[in-house]
Amino acid sequence: MKMKNPSHIDRRTFLKGAGVTLALPFMDSLASAAAPTKPPVRLAFMYMPHGVIMDQFWPKDQEAFLKAQPPIIRSLKPIMDQCLMMKGISGVPINPFNGAPHALELSTWLTGRLPEANSRGRINIAISADQIMANYVGAHTLLPSLELATMPQTWKENQEGLHEGYYNHCSYRSPTQPVPAETDPRNVLNRLFGKRGKEGKVTRTNPLDRQMLDRVLGGARDLRKTLAKVDQQKLDEYLDSVRSVERRIAAIETRQQEAAFEKNGVAPSKRHATDSAPIEVKIPEGDKRSKYMQVMCDLTVLAFQTDTTRVSTYVGSRPNGASYPELGFSNQHHSQTHYGSDQEKIRKVAAINQFNVDQFAYMVKKMHALKEGDGTLLDNCIMMWGSGLEDGNKHRRDNLPFILAGKGGGALKTGRFLSGVKGNQADLLTTLLACVGVPLDRPIGIATQQIEAIKA
Amino acid sequence: MKRSAFILSLLGFTGFFSFMATAMDEATLRADAQKVFKEKVGPFVRKYCAGCHGSRAKAGINLQSALKNPSGESGSLHFKKAAANVKVHDMPPEDSSKKPTDAERRQFVEWIGKLKYLAPRDPGPFVIRRLTKTEYANTLRDLYGVDSSVADSLPDEVVGEGFLNSISALQSEQFLGIANKVVAQVLAPEGKAPTAVQKRLFGEAPPEDADLRKAARVAANSLARDAYRRPPTDAELDVLVDVYDLGRDNKLNHTAAQGLMLKAVLVSPQFLFITPAGEPESKENIVPLDDFQLASRLSYLLWSAPPDAELAALADKGELHKPGVLRAQVGRLLQDTRARALFDGFGAQWLGINKLDGQVFDPKRFPQMTQALRTAMIEEARLFFGSIVSENQSVVQFVNSDYTFLNEPLAKVYGLGQSVRGPKMRRVKLTNPNRGGILGMPATLATTSFPNRTSPVNRGVWVLEQILGERIPPPPADIPELGEQEHKDVKGLTLRQLTERHQSEATCRNCHKILDPIGFGLENFDAIGRWRDKNNEGLPIDSAGQLPDGKKFSTPAELKRLLAQREADLARNLTERLMAYALGRQLGGYDDVVIDQIMVKIAKENYRMRAIITEVITSYLFTHRRIKG
Repeated sequence: MKMKNPSHIDRRTFLKGAGVTLALPFMDSLASAAAPTKPPVRLAFMYMPHGVIMDQFWPKDQEAFLKAQPPIIRSLKPIMDQCLMMKGISGVPINPFNGAPHALELSTWLTGRLPEANSRGRINIAISADQIMANYVGAHTLLPSLELATMPQTWKENQEGLHEGYYNHCSYRSPTQPVPAETDPRNVLNRLFGKRGKEGKVTRTNPLDRQMLDRVLGGARDLRKTLAKVDQQKLDEYLDSVRSVERRIAAIETRQQEAAFEKNGVAPSKRHATDSAPIEVKIPEGDKRSKYMQVMCDLTVLAFQTDTTRVSTYVGSRPNGASYPELGFSNQHHSQTHYGSDQEKIRKVAAINQFNVDQFAYMVKKMHALKEGDGTLLDNCIMMWGSGLEDGNKHRRDNLPFILAGKGGGALKTGRFLSGVKGNQADLLTTLLACVGVPLDRPIGIATQQIEAIKA
Repeated sequence: MKRSAFILSLLGFTGFFSFMATAMDEATLRADAQKVFKEKVGPFVRKYCAGCHGSRAKAGINLQSALKNPSGESGSLHFKKAAANVKVHDMPPEDSSKKPTDAERRQFVEWIGKLKYLAPRDPGPFVIRRLTKTEYANTLRDLYGVDSSVADSLPDEVVGEGFLNSISALQSEQFLGIANKVVAQVLAPEGKAPTAVQKRLFGEAPPEDADLRKAARVAANSLARDAYRRPPTDAELDVLVDVYDLGRDNKLNHTAAQGLMLKAVLVSPQFLFITPAGEPESKENIVPLDDFQLASRLSYLLWSAPPDAELAALADKGELHKPGVLRAQVGRLLQDTRARALFDGFGAQWLGINKLDGQVFDPKRFPQMTQALRTAMIEEARLFFGSIVSENQSVVQFVNSDYTFLNEPLAKVYGLGQSVRGPKMRRVKLTNPNRGGILGMPATLATTSFPNRTSPVNRGVWVLEQILGERIPPPPADIPELGEQEHKDVKGLTLRQLTERHQSEATCRNCHKILDPIGFGLENFDAIGRWRDKNNEGLPIDSAGQLPDGKKFSTPAELKRLLAQREADLARNLTERLMAYALGRQLGGYDDVVIDQIMVKIAKENYRMRAIITEVITSYLFTHRRIKG
């Protein structure tokens, strides 16, 4: 283990080489013009497993979409003009993993491709769409991206020899690194806006910590070299998380500095005078799933509203395991989805579908009510709700259910139901990234085209 | 004694020859296995399997490509799965035109058993892993004298054969927060006398004219030796001194700057991960672990804690790897109270009862399932496991013993409420042959149950997989759980009749005719482990059943006796699980050959627990690692 004394310049170069760019937000903000700039475009994904009861989800036609919505999507009624649905988006074909439809409905959802068959026992898939965006815009915000889930991502099952992580994650920082999601809303709140001490004041971060972490990261580079590739990945996962701590401390320092400049009139405010005040988030007591999911939605809204992050994922529930006692039955979601011709099961699955869309509707309605610039917060976002299967009964994936809300800063034309769209899930992801202004050097997963029909 | 003979005996003379003999056996067995795959397995697959699992995979199994590289990761997995299905008549399917005879099925399973001989001699890589929450807490406790509750804020992790789930950014902020707390506890406030730990870590305060930077480097060296569990490299010391300088440049005094250095140690990957120490200077693909790695691997396995002073000293002297020394240390560590960690890390996971704490029970049906009772159940299993280890009993005792550990609430579950009073756990002699051992133990009976009833299927799977180490094919993906089937025609059936419906469906029958009868044998125990003669509907329990080999039983006591006769299977299963836990990876290929060798040795020791633990630790797999290839 021979090495030179680590230097900062080396490390920054190294980080850039690894595809990570460090932001210098403070200099950015000094350089920005006097007038507030156009609001950034944000992108969010919210997931429900096992597909939907098709005839209670898809509108019959454009008119039904606007006026007589099927039950599952009815809660979106007041803002259908802000929504867009397109039928005909197919999923990723899952052969040779036919015995693992549920692990794959989640793990292919944002990667648009299958795991590597020859190393299926490990995580080896692809960077997911949200993380591609985080690499591009993440440097501008306190958090590069936000990952939320309703339940711990610890389902243990490895059908087809697939790593159990495929059951739990939709978001991948690199082909081999799933991004773990936060499940505790209190932690998320602390993380977004700082821990509050006893007097309600935000605890100050220690600027020395950031520089200390920087040196630790520099030193770890030598350790990394001595490790096998698989082990390097494990180490990287930790180093990445340390890096994000370091970044967060830096970003908080910058924010504090900016606030001080603004206060003294040295720098202009980034906010518009017409912008709504940040929403208040209350952590609910008790264990009602709807309240829990709503607070996670609130956190997403708040993070977008305050430009704390510009891309987020929310695994509303992962395949298997979830039940919905609030709906008056205790069955697990998955067990009901193989309904055959059982009307009772169909009713229950539809109720679960509706419950999930209701939470999505709660979120986007709230965003539609918040002013930002000349329009609403929702105008500057693309919020996608969807599932990784068309229908859980037969594991079909020809017409994946998706709902888009928000215009993405004018990139999407909402208020439409498009019934004859042709394309796959990866095409859709590629299109959405184009809409939020992320340039791609190659299409995502199995994508071959963009879905022009959804664009404005 | 002649000098050469003396040297030979030092080198482990007999060991050398048995190694040569083993190597020769291995070559013969490998040649035989290659022949079997070519001449037997190939034709079998082509005749019975390739129609569906041939050129393309069906249900994820492609035996044609598996035949090309049977000992590869994917190939051997496909064959093992295939053997499990063929064994229970699950495959080929009922409607296929060609089906093997029972004798052919047995042969196929036997052939696949030779798969291991195709694998080259290989201990696998040293899998680096992060300290678990428990290990992390214990390490802070042992090194810095802080209470291990300092780590309570970390999320619980799920461990599967040594694999941890990923780390979130939030979690590494928590590591930083905990490091802050540790430093705050170690360092006395300015102006106060240094704490005992502070003196141990940093020495006495240096005189005013001392070279403080030099003193910091000395402190860094000893901090890193303990925390990284090996001597630090010069480069690593440079980083720590750099952190010290950072503190000094920012107006921290000498003590506070050393505190910053300690904080840096505590968030370093060298501390949080059990890592190999650098790349050994070797042209070989496979090298023995160095003594530092061996010390860590050993102490975290048995104690979930870092090496103590004695282990560290043996590693520093380079003596730990000597077989006699290593065996003696295993014995010493097992005598220490810290060895109870083996239950928390391994035993609880093996028995599946690590889930019991969070498991839901219907409060209306089981109001007595309080936190106190759950704790007592887990404690019973812990004490029972601990007694078998510390008294060096045979693994047979796990399934067939005549004692357990009870307190008053738990004794009520046993129907012994009168004789055991108070909340303290104590050893109790059992006279009821249905109890005693993990089959009649409330913790395991509860953990295999549903919230409101028993599950003969879960219990059957548990006995076969956890106790006998059999491989059970998973149920088809689209089958609802029994408890979720709400057809009207099942009302009024006993659980046995309900479960036996499995056997009327072709897709279910083949596996369930093996699983269910074992579970029925335990039906006299309800979902929290109480004895009952009648079920919830008031009908008498019928606990007759049979093992896959056809041996019949009619009570839990008889089931226990039958399982106790399979001591080699019990021992092999436990050995394999312990090895996987110790190595932090799944076993396969050459590992199976090593397990075979261990089986020979522990059979001579009547499968005593210490022998199993010692043979795992002194095995080729535990003491070596692959560094290339």
